[in-house]
Amino acid sequence: MTTAVLVVESVVLVLLTVLVAGLLRSHAEILRRLHALGAGLDPDVPLPDPRAPTIELLPTASGAFADAVDLDGAGLRDDALHVAVVGARHRTLLAFLSSGCLTCQGFWDAFRDPRHLDLPDDVRLVVVAKDAGDESISALRAVAPSGVAVVLSSAAWTDYHVPGSPYFVLVDGIAGHVRGEGTGASWEQVKNLLRQAGDDADDDGREVRIDRELLSHGIAPGDPSLYRTADQIADQIAGQIAGQITGQMVEDART
Amino acid sequence: MVTTLSAHGLAIGLPAGWEGRIQRRVATAAAEQTRAVVHLANFALPEERDDFGGEVTPTMRSPDVLVVLFEYGPESAAKPLFAAPGLPRVTAALFGSKRLQRPLPGQLGCQQFFTTNGRPFCLYVVAGSRAHLARIIADVNTVLAGVTVGP
Repeated sequence: MTTAVLVVESVVLVLLTVLVAGLLRSHAEILRRLHALGAGLDPDVPLPDPRAPTIELLPTASGAFADAVDLDGAGLRDDALHVAVVGARHRTLLAFLSSGCLTCQGFWDAFRDPRHLDLPDDVRLVVVAKDAGDESISALRAVAPSGVAVVLSSAAWTDYHVPGSPYFVLVDGIAGHVRGEGTGASWEQVKNLLRQAGDDADDDGREVRIDRELLSHGIAPGDPSLYRTADQIADQIAGQIAGQITGQMVEDART
Repeated sequence: MVTTLSAHGLAIGLPAGWEGRIQRRVATAAAEQTRAVVHLANFALPEERDDFGGEVTPTMRSPDVLVVLFEYGPESAAKPLFAAPGLPRVTAALFGSKRLQRPLPGQLGCQQFFTTNGRPFCLYVVAGSRAHLARIIADVNTVLAGVTVGP
């Protein structure tokens, strides 16, 4: 009888051991996948990012540009923010980061001194983290750079279909479209995205560049100055010259 | 499309292309009570900003405009300076180069003090240039019409 009980207990023990081992393995797999998505619980465990590097410029001919949206959310200093992305006269690089993901740490460090980022003049960097309910505000305050806008907006993560952090989206403000998106393990890889986008703009973005230049001088679509005829321009110049001559004659008469 | 930005008892409708921040400075002394500061602009607001835009205006171009709403303590509401009721509107006559907190070539400034819902404010507007003033005034008044101040 005692032997039978011992055998049953041994079998149960073995089964339990197998069950626990299976659970631990499953738990480890869940943690690994969470970490890869930027929501890992243990920032000290370095795990390879299976998606890096996968930065891509969206093909211009496919018509696949997704519409961009502005950012609404909270800041880290008891503030509310609205960041204009669509209609802005610059491009915006949205950096979707988390406070806990290991790969993100390199970007937080790089953003600490924006002057060394080597960003093109027409690119504005904005960091987008999730809402306070999904993030640690104290951890974000510890890593967030003071010179870069940080917006807490889970809605933006949904709007831009962000699969996990780190993730980058380049938006052309004038066109109101996403120009490129992807992830990377380092700031150097993300800069490649900007270079590709710049090369692409050189190829087919002449109209956009002209629009940007006109807007920077306050000339918006529909401005009457864009629709003047050659005769109207000639009349204006003639009027200016006549005014200058008259002014000079009056000045001469006085002297 | 108008976006509504709200915090600290303020709600502001922003037209497309505008951006804004409503914040309250961190108190530097235990007894200090900080109030709402609003920065609105039709260009990208830099992160380093003085309350009255000291770090912002040097980056402005001629079509740009910066709008600041700075709230004072409730004790100021009784002072004559803040006697004007309700949110004001701006006109060209209110703008001048000598009304800038930080004078810069070409820029024009405008300051108006008022009290609404028992909360005293200063409205400070910086226009990038006189050439664009008419359009800037129209835009600013549109924005001001969309400001709601709670008690």
